[in-house]
This record gives sequence, C-alpha cells and structure tokens, in this order.
Amino acid sequence: MADATLTWPKNYNEVPKAAFTRSDLYLEEIKRIFHGPEWHPVAHESELPNPGDFRTIRLAGIPLLISRDEGGEVRVFYNACSHRSNQLETAVMGNKTEFECPYHRWLFSAKGELVGCPNPREFVPGFDKADYPLGQPRFDLFYGLIFVTFSAETEPLDQFLGEAGETLRELMAGDGRLKLLGYQKVRYDSNWKGYNDNDGYHAPLLHAAFKMLNWQGGKGRQYTATKRGHVCFESALSVASGPSVLKDKDLIAFKGQDPSVGSRIVQLFPTFVSTKHLDVINLRFATPIDAETTEVHYAYFAHQNDDADMLRHRLRQSSNLLGPCGLISMEDASIFHRIHIGSHTPGNAIFQKGVRDPAKLESEFSQNDESGNLPRWEYYRSVMGFERAQA
Amino acid sequence: MMLSPTKLEGALDRLLLADANALDSKDMTGWLTNYAEEEQASYYCRAAENTEHNLELGFMFDDCRARLEDRVIYVTEIWAGTFQDYRTRHFVQRVSHRQVDASTAEAMSNFSVFMTPMDTGVTQILAAGRYLDMVRLSGDGRAKFLSRRAELDTSVLPRYLVYPI
Ligand code: FES
Ligand SMILES: [Fe+2]
Repeated sequence: MADATLTWPKNYNEVPKAAFTRSDLYLEEIKRIFHGPEWHPVAHESELPNPGDFRTIRLAGIPLLISRDEGGEVRVFYNACSHRSNQLETAVMGNKTEFECPYHRWLFSAKGELVGCPNPREFVPGFDKADYPLGQPRFDLFYGLIFVTFSAETEPLDQFLGEAGETLRELMAGDGRLKLLGYQKVRYDSNWKGYNDNDGYHAPLLHAAFKMLNWQGGKGRQYTATKRGHVCFESALSVASGPSVLKDKDLIAFKGQDPSVGSRIVQLFPTFVSTKHLDVINLRFATPIDAETTEVHYAYFAHQNDDADMLRHRLRQSSNLLGPCGLISMEDASIFHRIHIGSHTPGNAIFQKGVRDPAKLESEFSQNDESGNLPRWEYYRSVMGFERAQA
Repeated sequence: MMLSPTKLEGALDRLLLADANALDSKDMTGWLTNYAEEEQASYYCRAAENTEHNLELGFMFDDCRARLEDRVIYVTEIWAGTFQDYRTRHFVQRVSHRQVDASTAEAMSNFSVFMTPMDTGVTQILAAGRYLDMVRLSGDGRAKFLSRRAELDTSVLPRYLVYPI
C-alpha cells in the first residue's frame, strides 16, 4: 500500500487541515491507532451491574460483547461466533447467561466457552469444543472502566494512563462505584479528531449560558499526561449567584461532595472524553464510523451511595446540562460539525491561546489555553509517521 | 363529565396538530401554551432503549412547568446564533387514546420528524418514535398536555437537538 503521507508544519501549534479530511489517512489511522497499541475505554462495569448482564458495541467497526458471568466477573469478547463469525448477539444490552448463535446453533457460556454444538461427529476429525471459545481482545479495568486493546504491544494500562489515572479516578467519584442513569447517543458529522479536539473544556466565549447564568469559570489547572498527551482539567466552579434567567435553579445547583473541584475532565488519546461537572458524571465513549462521522455514547452515572434525593438531582441535572442537547454543550456539537466543514479548506489550523513559543511543547497550561491539545497532536504525528517540516 | 367520542378525538387531534405546528414554526411560546398551566406539566424526550431498561435519563427532562419555561429561554435566548439552524416537519398519527376521568385523557401517537439543515438543504430523518401523552381536558372541550413523553425509536440521533421533538 502506498504510504499515506502528509508534511507536518514546523511549528507545534499548527495542524494541517488535511488531517481531518483525507480518507486515505483515515484508513491508516484505523490500522495504526484504533487497531494499534492504544487502550480504548468501551464501558464502565456499572453498565452491567448484575450477573448475566451484557452489552454490545462496535469500536472502529469491531463488534464487541461485554458480559458479566454468573459469578460476577466481567469479560470482553469479540461479538462473533467462533464457527463462521456470525454476529453472536444483536441486542445492545440485556441479561443472558448463554449466547446461542442461530446459524448452526453453537452455544456459548457467559465465560465464552463453547458449551454445545449439534452433530460435532460430522466436523473435522479431532474437533474439540475446548478449542473454540469466543475470541477475546486484551482488556483491563481501571476503577470499573473497561478498556480494550487490539495489539499485543500496548503497554500496561496503568502506564498508558500515567498521571491522568488519578484525575480519572477522582472524576469517577473517587472509587468507581457508579450507578448507570442512562445514555444519550448521537452521531456527529465530524472526523474523530475534530470531535476530540473540540470536546472537553474550551474557552467560555462560545457559551452564552455562562454569562447569562452569571457564572464565571473558576481558576483551574490543565495538564497533559504521558507521551500521548491525555488532557486533564481540574477547576473550581463558582456556582451562579445573583439573578439568573433560569426558573429551575437546580439545573446548575452543586450538591455533591467535591466542592473545591466543580469540574474535572479527562480526555484520553484517541477519542475518550469524560467529565464531572457539578454533580454530573459523564463518560463519553466515542468511535469513528468513517472519516467524516463519529458516534458518541454519552453515559451518565450516579454514585452507589447516593440517597434518593441525590439520585433524582443527578438525573435531572445530567439530562439537561451536558450532551448533544444540553444547556451548556449543545453549541459544542454544532462546533464539531462546523470545524469539520471548515477543515475542507487549504492550510493549517493554528492554535493561539496559551502558545508561548511555537517551537516548544509544554505540559502545564492554564484552564482556557488551547495549547493543551498540542502534545496529543505531536503524538498523533509521530504515530502516523508524518515528517515535521524543517525550520 | 365524559366527552363524546367525536369531541374527545377532536380535542386530542387539535392538540397534536397545534404542537406539531408550533414546533415546525419554531414558535417556542406557542409550544409552551400547549402545556397545562400546572406545576407538574412536563415534557420528556428520550430513547425508548433507555426506558425499556428502566433508565430514566433522557435527551430532555423537563419534569415541571419551570423547566418547560426554561426551555423556551434556552432556545430563544441562550442558544440563539450558536447552532446550524434546521427546519423540521413533524408527522403525527394518533394510534390509541382513552378518557381516564372527567378532566384527563391519555393518548399514544406515532411520529416521524424530517429535518432539513439550512446550510445543506438536504432532508434527512431526524427521529421516529411514539408520543405518550397525558392530557388535561377543560370544560370548554380544549386539551393541553399534562405530560408528554417523546419515546424515540431512534436511539442514536443523527445530530444534536435544538428544538424539542
Ligand atoms: S456461525 Fe455460528 S454456529 Fe455457525
Ligand atoms: Fe462546551
């Protein structure tokens, strides 16, 4: 295959717009990044709280089945029969302790063992059921967050997360003992990098709500972790005081345990975004569909210790605050689309805010700096093997 | 007093059409007037997939009159000028209904919503699903929503939502 090449600008704060739009690069990204040595969060184990619970998803096209067996253990499988690879389970979620493939009736346990198949005497001599369990990608858990990788080379998960792990743990209520509230799922007309580059925190200039709610972003820290440039934010949030245009003030009320840090965000390379904002705990599982489409599953959570009032508050706040129709994030969704359209023009996207020296990469930033995305772009460039232009 | 079948059907259909018309005209004030002036008046929009798994979270969760009023503000003031606008056309078909008592009826309707973004001009389907409505009937034969649940078959939206469905 011809090399998908792209000459990268010499300055760290410039990103060629072609990176968002070229379909030949996309195919290379699937190979090098999505099927390569990266960890991808696919679900939180609280999405399948009971024995027999399962979920299916597709990650960069690969169908996965995540199941909890009768003993409570969570495993990730390829959602494909070990016989001729028929899609095994069609439901998005449910509860089953056995999975039967309807094509030739092979039957699998929630542990992935082949427990039955009709007429094996007619199979290849020496056929043994034990040789045909469901296939599995590598997977690992971090405070209940389930990660998969399709490469044997990927370093251990702890190393992949680095310093971001600590912020991620805090974001998941400190102990990862979450309770699922539900999903908002949406497809954006945006390349996956356009989605990832613009989700998470960004200058409050976009959000009229911040001003109208008399709500100033507080002081905060932004840092990047590991060579992948995972981006993490920890910020105080001064909750709106004084007059507000909203009749239902509970939408922006802060009733939780973590008052000094109202907002935490962890963005992991390549597509995962998670945030704790006020009392909303939101994990965003995203996958590319094609070069111009990204599907995002916004999963919202409460904590297992929440009382009925807190649960209700989280439900009311989560549904209306963030996500593709949320009061303070609907405009983000529109930006994903518009950045993608605008990127079909020549030249580079040039980052400005927080860039002190275009010839240097940093790892500590102010809350509103756009430069926090630059280490991730540098990692992307190196993984894709694009040469940086000489000064 | 129970309404005659024709009167009840007429009242329900006028309400269904008035809501479709308000939404497709982007008349948020008109949309609000289709809801009963009661504290518990509510509108929910969520994937049926969530409901079927006892997950209450939705795309929109306006569980009281104050939130309905706030939604008018989101659309007309807070979000104004920040999104790619789109036209919608709601097609609504009542499939069952029943009068519960003198002042309450319930109705179920199918809906499909077409969307045409202003910038592309290409019409797509935004969502399909069912409305589950609890309706307040007044003496003069008028009907208002006490509660409307838009349960979407479309569990993955093709786009962000600005207007209610
Ligand atoms: S493909 Fe599943 S049993 Fe044959
Ligand atoms: Fe935002």
